[in-house]
Amino acid sequence: MTDVAVERAQSEKHGSSRVVRGGRFRVGGVVRFACIAVYTGFLLLPLYWMAVTSIKSQEDQLSDPPVWFPSDPTTLNYSDALNNFNGWKGLENSLVVAFATTLLAVALGTAAAYSMARFRTGGKHLAFWFLSQRILPPIAIIIPIFLLYSRYSEEWLGFALIDTRLGLILLYTVFALPFTVWMMYAYFRQMPPELEEAALVDGCSRLQALAKIAWPLAAPGVVSAAAFAFIFSWTEFLFAQVLGRDEAITAPVALAGMITFFQGNLYGQASALTMVSLIPALLLGILVQRHLVRGLTLGAVQG
Amino acid sequence: MRWLLVAPAVLIVVALTIFPLGFSLWVAFVQYDFALGDQHPWVGLDNFVENWKDPVWRASLWRTAWFSVTMVAIELMLGLLLALAMLRPFRGRRVLMTLYVIPLFISPVVVGGFFDLFVRRPYGAANELASWVWPGEVAIDFSQDSPWVYITLILADVWQWTPFMFVILLAGLSAIPDTLYEAADLDGAKPRHAFVFVTLPLLLPIILIAVTFRLIDAAKLFDIIFSLTRGGPGTDTYTTSYYLYQQGFEFFHLGQGTGGAWMFMIMLTFISFWLVRRLLKPVEEA
Repeated sequence: MTDVAVERAQSEKHGSSRVVRGGRFRVGGVVRFACIAVYTGFLLLPLYWMAVTSIKSQEDQLSDPPVWFPSDPTTLNYSDALNNFNGWKGLENSLVVAFATTLLAVALGTAAAYSMARFRTGGKHLAFWFLSQRILPPIAIIIPIFLLYSRYSEEWLGFALIDTRLGLILLYTVFALPFTVWMMYAYFRQMPPELEEAALVDGCSRLQALAKIAWPLAAPGVVSAAAFAFIFSWTEFLFAQVLGRDEAITAPVALAGMITFFQGNLYGQASALTMVSLIPALLLGILVQRHLVRGLTLGAVQG
Repeated sequence: MRWLLVAPAVLIVVALTIFPLGFSLWVAFVQYDFALGDQHPWVGLDNFVENWKDPVWRASLWRTAWFSVTMVAIELMLGLLLALAMLRPFRGRRVLMTLYVIPLFISPVVVGGFFDLFVRRPYGAANELASWVWPGEVAIDFSQDSPWVYITLILADVWQWTPFMFVILLAGLSAIPDTLYEAADLDGAKPRHAFVFVTLPLLLPIILIAVTFRLIDAAKLFDIIFSLTRGGPGTDTYTTSYYLYQQGFEFFHLGQGTGGAWMFMIMLTFISFWLVRRLLKPVEEA
């Protein structure tokens, strides 16, 4: 069946009122699929180019006019990027930092959100204070953080935070908190308090009620809050570029290094590392697709 | 107990944003130079004034403003168009939905890299693509030639963030009950009338939320500049964030960078609060 036929069948099935939404039926149908086709092309083109560059041989990469379909695909770029250009190191650091950030942000965020939702702790002000972190420009924070991490942390805390995973984890947690706090806040407020109250009557402590009743019930919210925290840490660049250039280099920083500093001859390697680095975030993204809208707007729009 | 649950989150935020900001307020008023060691002579307002003396700073502020507005406007249009097109079910819709949200999970610095790779002369594909539709040889460096570099940057941002508008608007559109359209249909409204008088008013609160979120983020544009143009040609694509990064971490003018960062933050906070109050007011009343 052609698309037009599908459309016609569907619009007949739903009655004529459905036609109203997408504009007039026949013209609307063509325009509609033209939009979708053009946009899909725009979306796929750079992705395709990246993918195909990652398997091109050196010769194909430097050919003019450019090669759209590589004649002899190679995996050389992948092994080169991972082994010789901080690839593994970057991925490993990114993974560790993202996991730790996720754990920390979800733990702290859930506890705070629970207290705010159940006991109205801090009222509206505290909630909006967390939200206002979202407005803060990262560049305004990173300069003092850089100074504190590099010059004072050793003196004050006894250990350096510059170029360490810990330093990144702490900072990322702070910037992931608005997500986790607000998503969980919205979640806990929707949840009827009666269940926990029943548990309290039966002799549970508050902490037990949180751990045994509220937390499991909020599990879907926790999962999507965690996914957002992970994706944020995985894709963050500015902080990592300033704070973790060597020992704590993350995947985006390793990539940016290849893209910008050695211009010209590292196309394949950069593309290859990009392809690898896309995997975890994409998997998670697809996993939480249903909660996407809520996550993007911090619960302001219910998807 | 209730405060104990909130305390860790509050403490870490205070330790890593409020405290550093207080510290940076001091840095903004002294000469902070690694060469001077532990000496930090008071310089008053110099760190703020220095920025305003620099034409690049002033230009970067305007550029940040028009970049943000242009990018968000295009993303809104495209996102709305796409959401309307994707509203009704058709075969393959689920696959496309998954495909469309992919850019949201990619690091912006990588998106800049994509586009750099795509447009770079002579090995990228952009010139060849352009020569298919344009008569004759096309030899444009889309990442260094004005005004193409602006178009490339805007396209890269649009590529990444149109899905943001799209998913939010689609959620809004799906929430509009069919009965309203049936009623409009019964009253003899044409589709475009239904769009103007039913769809748009009901969608408006959601549009405003999406635009507010995007504008606040777009004003911090940094990553794609870093990987796509490095601010070039010259300083033609410096955004304020990129300018401050250069001041702080390329030239190590930490005092001036901090002063600029404070002014930028204050401007951004005012604009953000204005946006939130002004734009989200109808949302809260609804």
